[in-house]
Amino acid sequence: MDGCSRNGEISPKLLHLIPQGRRNWFHDDNTSVYNTEEKKLELKLGPPGEDEDEDGASITRHIKKEPKDKSILSLAGNHFSPSSTTNKTTSQKRTAPGPVVGWPPVRSFRKNLANGSSSKLGNESSSNGGLLKNQKCEDDNGRGKPMEPKRQQGGMFVKINMYGVPIGRKVDLNAHNSYEQLSFTVDKLFRGLLAAQRESSSSGEEEKPITGLLDGNGEYTLTYEDNEGDKMLVGDVPWHMFASSVKRLRVIKSSEISSALTYGNGKQEKMRS
Amino acid sequence: KANQSPLYMTQDRTEMSEDDDDQSPPSDLRSEPPCSSSSSAVDSTPNKSRNCISSSGTMTASQPFPDHVLENVLENVLQFLDSRCDRNSASLVCKSWWKVEALTRSEVFIGNCYALSPARLTQRFKRVRSLVLKGKPRFADFNLMPPDWGANFAPWVSTMAKAYPWLEKVDLKRMFVTDDDLALLAESFPGFKELILVCCEGFGTSGIALVANKCRKLKVLDLIESEVTDDEIDWISCFPEDVTSLESLAFDCVEAPINFKALEGLVGRSPFLRKLRLNRFVSLEELHRLLLGAPQLTCLGTGSFSHDNGAHQSEPEPDYAAAFRACKSVVCLSGFRELMPEYLPAIFPVCANLTSLNFSYANISPDMFKPIIHNCHKLQVFWVCILLDLCLHDSEGPVSELGLQAISEGCRNLESILYFCQRMTNAAVIAMSENCPELTVFRLCIMGRHRPDHVTGKPMDEGFGAIVKNCKKLTRLAVSGLLTDQAFRYMGEYGKLIRTLSVAFAGDSDMALRHVLEGCPRLQKLEIRDSPFGDVALRCGMHRYYNMRFVWMSACSLSKSCCKDVARAMQNLVVEVIGSDDDDDNRDYVETLYMYRSLDGPRKDAPKFVTIL
Repeated sequence: MDGCSRNGEISPKLLHLIPQGRRNWFHDDNTSVYNTEEKKLELKLGPPGEDEDEDGASITRHIKKEPKDKSILSLAGNHFSPSSTTNKTTSQKRTAPGPVVGWPPVRSFRKNLANGSSSKLGNESSSNGGLLKNQKCEDDNGRGKPMEPKRQQGGMFVKINMYGVPIGRKVDLNAHNSYEQLSFTVDKLFRGLLAAQRESSSSGEEEKPITGLLDGNGEYTLTYEDNEGDKMLVGDVPWHMFASSVKRLRVIKSSEISSALTYGNGKQEKMRS
Repeated sequence: KANQSPLYMTQDRTEMSEDDDDQSPPSDLRSEPPCSSSSSAVDSTPNKSRNCISSSGTMTASQPFPDHVLENVLENVLQFLDSRCDRNSASLVCKSWWKVEALTRSEVFIGNCYALSPARLTQRFKRVRSLVLKGKPRFADFNLMPPDWGANFAPWVSTMAKAYPWLEKVDLKRMFVTDDDLALLAESFPGFKELILVCCEGFGTSGIALVANKCRKLKVLDLIESEVTDDEIDWISCFPEDVTSLESLAFDCVEAPINFKALEGLVGRSPFLRKLRLNRFVSLEELHRLLLGAPQLTCLGTGSFSHDNGAHQSEPEPDYAAAFRACKSVVCLSGFRELMPEYLPAIFPVCANLTSLNFSYANISPDMFKPIIHNCHKLQVFWVCILLDLCLHDSEGPVSELGLQAISEGCRNLESILYFCQRMTNAAVIAMSENCPELTVFRLCIMGRHRPDHVTGKPMDEGFGAIVKNCKKLTRLAVSGLLTDQAFRYMGEYGKLIRTLSVAFAGDSDMALRHVLEGCPRLQKLEIRDSPFGDVALRCGMHRYYNMRFVWMSACSLSKSCCKDVARAMQNLVVEVIGSDDDDDNRDYVETLYMYRSLDGPRKDAPKFVTIL
């Protein structure tokens, strides 16, 4: 955003807006070569024109570890902070479960148990990140967990496209532990691109952050295609379940949710991932 | 269902289905007898035309016999009347009957703690021994309501401490209870026998210790799904040293280690103990020891169902199956908090007798529970949470619907099911509707919002439609997945017995809610979130709201002006708009509407973020 020169007109070729040296950030949808692209994507984040003072640190560094309460709640557009409840129960009450408040409808009480022992619903919302917490538990008591999700060694990249942006990106899911992190990444990836695409009467208008991706409150909503070819809203199932089944991400307009999800679902219309 | 059902059955139902056992509305708790006061618009007896007997006054005046003889006779008769519904009817006959019924009612049920004040309760009923009191609406469990909303037990316990010295039982659900409240309870009621706290919070193990220690006649101490702070008190050791009267002890929700030796001793000196629900700090080995000492149990919460990390693995492993086999009376099984699946077969010996099985805390997949369900021919209540179907993806596809299919084929007597899954098909739900005609509670949560049938791509209308059509006893329904107005048309057409309805992310238009409000005459509790229902729909229900316990609508399309209109038109309805502190007061959009009938008007303890219209 800083120092990004932008003309007011919409350029059909987005690449023209990007300073020469940065063009290798962008992943062309048609390319299926991942090796060098991956590395570059892994290291660089952010809209074109951003000051390149980051020295190629990984995605996780860019993602703020937001305080437990605020991150999910601000994304969910929710005003309450459940963890500031009764003084007595701070150790047990956790933050809102998952990106959509109160969904799935499982009592936070049950999720607390999940955080303490094996993985259950929606424990990715704790500040440690669900998987990290599980790691810790395993070290502590050495209990075998029958269904411990496997972490892949390398990066796990999935394509992501956004409505209104011709250029697709890729996201390394292994570098994320939670939906909030993913949402943050999506904002970072597309905020500038989206702003560049939009017709803007006043140049110098601030880029609008892309928010509300997970709870239906924003202009855009994050969806995905799983290994079955089904299209679904992101955020409903535990993180590790999502991460193990997602094949592709799409940011759609929130107004198009129903049609986007029903069209193309079903075994007859399996999409090749 | 008879209200005379034994303690065990009643408790299980209340906890599982969150519903009242009988079909009656809450009692008409006006402090004045019928017809003698200025009319109240509250009609708490739906489906019964209100025949207010205007001649009641003259009837007693012209009695040749003295009133007190009649009253004695009535008292002797009415004291045997247990059913709430019958008592409500009896109280409406005439003034005498009203008075005597009030004297002889020993069990009071209050479905919404804000429907009346504690003073009104104690003014009308003088000899109460048992109180069931419910507070917050259910959606509060899912962080849809800010904390400190209310439902405090304090005013109730302080009023009752003076009015009901012979109180024996308190059963609270979603109430805010403090340690002080528990202390007052423990001190004020020398004959206290049963404390049941379901989904409550605000107290800790210190309050529990006080109850354990001071209530010497305690039979039931059930802490169910409540938040209990760990005050680091060995509350198990606070029970009296001699033989106890304990029949039921449930502490599976207590997130604190317990003194196992003390527990073992307690169980050993509690010959009447039938129900024991352990928390996750009790290991499989410890469970084994307890079972050997208490084979008479009928209801068991197994605790962690996994190894103690410190246990010596070299010793021969206890024969867990034998311990279960010895428990010939177990009909209700839950727990499995940290399930080690390799030990699950140990419960096979009790499967044939099980009427209730709760796997909802277990990391379990359909493949794991199918062999168990196959043997549970008597099963009536089943709770499970399917998370793992993706990991168990087989060549035919995900197994959520196969799991539901297996249950419907194996458990023909199923009455109540709560099933979480990621995806579902209409076919499986239809199959369940056909195989399980006894269903009274059907709660299916497809976790993916707006998910259609994953095989056909169609909405889940037909599945839920089949449930309401075929399950003729259905009283409670929770829907999910992609649903159009058609699903609600089915509900309105066939769901004639539905009392509780939960809707989330469903429906297309106001028509959907209209179908339900106009078509479901028994509807008592309606909770809706994130659905496109607005003012038009809200107005369609005005003829019903006095006959309902509450209506909850959050993230719908309601306007404040419409809610104000409803509040104005219905004087005995408390209309709460719940927002947050920094809401713009001028905005017309209603984030959360919670409305309920009340005899005592708007409450005085509403926090800042609640606006009562």
